[in-house]
Amino acid sequence: MEAIVVDDIHFSYNGVPVLKGVSFTIKMGQVVAIMGENGAGKTTLIKHFIGLLKPDVGRVLVFGTDTREASVAQLAKRVGIVFQNPDHQLFAESVEEEIFFTLENMGYTLSEAKAICDTILKTFELDRYRNRSPYSLSIGERKRLTIAAVLCYNPDVVVLDEPTAGQDYYNKSKLSRLITQLKRQGRGVVVVTHDVEFAAQTVERVILVANGQVIQDGPAQDILTDAALLQKARLLPPQIPVAASKLMANGIRLSAKPLLAGGLYTMLVEMFNHSG
Amino acid sequence: MTALGSVLDIFKYRRKETFLHSLDPRSKFLLLVVLSVASLALNDVFSLLLLLTIEIVLLAISKSLNEWIRSLRGLAMLLLMIFILNFLTLPSGRLFTSITMVLRFVCLTSAFSIFFLTTTADELANALEVSGVPREYSMMFTMSLRFVPSLAKDLQTVIDALRSRGLELEGGRIKERIKNYTHLLVPLIVYELRRSLMVAEALEARGFGAVKKVKPYVELRLRRRDYSIIFISLAGLFMLLWFILSGRYAMFTSAVRYLFPEF
Amino acid sequence: MYLVDLRDIYFKYLGDEDYALKGVTLTARPGEFILLAGPSGCGKSTLLRVLNGLVPHFYEGEFKGEAYVAGLDVRSTPTYALAKHVGMVFQDPENQLFLSSVEREIAFSLENLGLSRNEIKKRVNEVLEIFGLEHIRHRAPYELSGGQQQKVALATVMALEPQILALDEPTANLDPLSALEVLTLVHGLVKKKGILAIVVEHRLEIALRFATRMLVMNKGHIVADGKPEAILPQVRHLIGYPPVVIAHLLLSRKGLAGDGIPLTPEDLAAKIIEVVKWRR
Repeated sequence: MEAIVVDDIHFSYNGVPVLKGVSFTIKMGQVVAIMGENGAGKTTLIKHFIGLLKPDVGRVLVFGTDTREASVAQLAKRVGIVFQNPDHQLFAESVEEEIFFTLENMGYTLSEAKAICDTILKTFELDRYRNRSPYSLSIGERKRLTIAAVLCYNPDVVVLDEPTAGQDYYNKSKLSRLITQLKRQGRGVVVVTHDVEFAAQTVERVILVANGQVIQDGPAQDILTDAALLQKARLLPPQIPVAASKLMANGIRLSAKPLLAGGLYTMLVEMFNHSG
Repeated sequence: MTALGSVLDIFKYRRKETFLHSLDPRSKFLLLVVLSVASLALNDVFSLLLLLTIEIVLLAISKSLNEWIRSLRGLAMLLLMIFILNFLTLPSGRLFTSITMVLRFVCLTSAFSIFFLTTTADELANALEVSGVPREYSMMFTMSLRFVPSLAKDLQTVIDALRSRGLELEGGRIKERIKNYTHLLVPLIVYELRRSLMVAEALEARGFGAVKKVKPYVELRLRRRDYSIIFISLAGLFMLLWFILSGRYAMFTSAVRYLFPEF
Repeated sequence: MYLVDLRDIYFKYLGDEDYALKGVTLTARPGEFILLAGPSGCGKSTLLRVLNGLVPHFYEGEFKGEAYVAGLDVRSTPTYALAKHVGMVFQDPENQLFLSSVEREIAFSLENLGLSRNEIKKRVNEVLEIFGLEHIRHRAPYELSGGQQQKVALATVMALEPQILALDEPTANLDPLSALEVLTLVHGLVKKKGILAIVVEHRLEIALRFATRMLVMNKGHIVADGKPEAILPQVRHLIGYPPVVIAHLLLSRKGLAGDGIPLTPEDLAAKIIEVVKWRR
């Protein structure tokens, strides 16, 4: 099912073109990364998903509704966006109220909200802080809280802006697991990131953006192993494809270009343990 | 927000190579003072139009007409409001005075924009330091100008984040809306406090405060072009004062009233 | 003679209940590139701030132990005096650059030391050349990309000719290519000038290749200290493995990769080749 349709949108900010004819479709049950260098227009792009920005030319459809014809609040019910910096998004007096705030806006009753809050805080390992001020939490916990404060109302599509920036190993692995779980629930997930290793492990499709345009859109396996293409978006290929290229250059003919450690391992085991 | 952004643009420095950009900030400051005095002292359409023409020429010299026009478009609502309020509340001579008020506002804004479009915050700080203001204070001044765009950007992000969690900032009753806007303040204040801490750390790490008296890297020097601008500004100021104090300006304005009584 | 000599440092921020540093002892010499890693909140940023005296002068609190940096006692030397010896660059370039041109940005640090105008001009030109920033000397920092901004931030502190560079997640906001460029630049300074660099980084896949030594912290303690190849297995639970290390772990079990932990894709490829070339 088509969740978000971005149809040839153009957008200028103060006379400077930021998006120059961008089109793609996000489907339910798909994990997509929008990748590209800073200033390529990634954040501007996702703000179009719920009508925070409206295209100058072209249109954005959210489950069939043109973003020009609905309020931000209505669109946000279907598409939840988590912005990069937690400090820009948290304001309530306690962790619990941070969740209540969203639920109240989304029209839940207090008793519904309480039940949801209990579950979501447990899922995100934040229940022991429920009466603490959000500002007293660590950076990783604040990040989790901003995600919980959006996921609590069950949006069909979840958009995460640079979720791994400044996050440590523990929180990155947690995020990775969370995204897999969201996919299993059949939701659409969009991750804006330039963390190639995270993308390699987590997403199935990559939309590569440079200079306000989509320069490639396809399976992560293909895009993240193409060093020349990645270079155009100021990205480095992940480690495993780089190692694989070196092997190929030294006459070890792998059957395909692996993206992850597991893939490289399987290929080499098949090649050598069978023959040897 | 975008409207507010484009209005602020009128005061944002643009690096260009023009006569005005190359002037010493002190001579530009004098020019600003004279233009502002003139905007406030003159109160008829014709002399304000003359003043505006001079300002437009200056803006053209500094290659900043485009920015100016764009910002005026952003200001259009405010100008209209000034006009309507004056028009509705004045007892007589309404059209004339209302236009005068709008013109005066435009003249004053343009005077400041000529200055800020062509002068960087650190040139200004430099001028302050040369005039004997301690470095801590001039730095405070630089910082407050420097972080205006960052603050505007932060505010926009906070608004976007809370709206995407269903906060209604558009429709609704006015009381509700004011209450909703107060939600924005908490993250904004907390974030700006954090930011000021980060800025202070960076300043410390770069040796700020090591010596009391520093020698600024860029030496301010009044050149021939500065003396000519200072001369023209002062001459303009004296002419204006003479014109007003001698009663000639009053005669001029009453003549205008007499010629256009219907206004 | 050590450049950094910390002995049993404890520090507790004013108003906090727990210590951020709990008995940290550390010595470091010129020419080292030290990667400082660990989960968030482990105390690595606090440790970095001891080096230039932000802790305990800017951030107040309870400070115990002895700390000498470039031979100066941190407890009694103000940050602006330590700034000459320790150049510190932070995560967010936006909050470190304030002025209207790259050139003035670099001059600012030098002005603060009270140098003469001629001396400032000379050093500004030198630094612009070393960092390859001449073509953007008149540009405003906010017009530059994040990567260029971090290079300018580095240049502003290097203008003071410090013996130590302390970098707090300098690439967290950068795209991978810029991150690699910035760390390559730091590595070059360590090689050429023999300075000591201490870098806090989460992106092991980019930073590991440069590290001559790695420190891992957890809950206010240094829990591992040594060559990255040697200590990575002890700290996997804290900082994880980069993909090449995981691949190596899998392959070496099947005898498809040589011994020793690889830090880069090139290392990994070499270790595979050295084993499998005999098998063909």
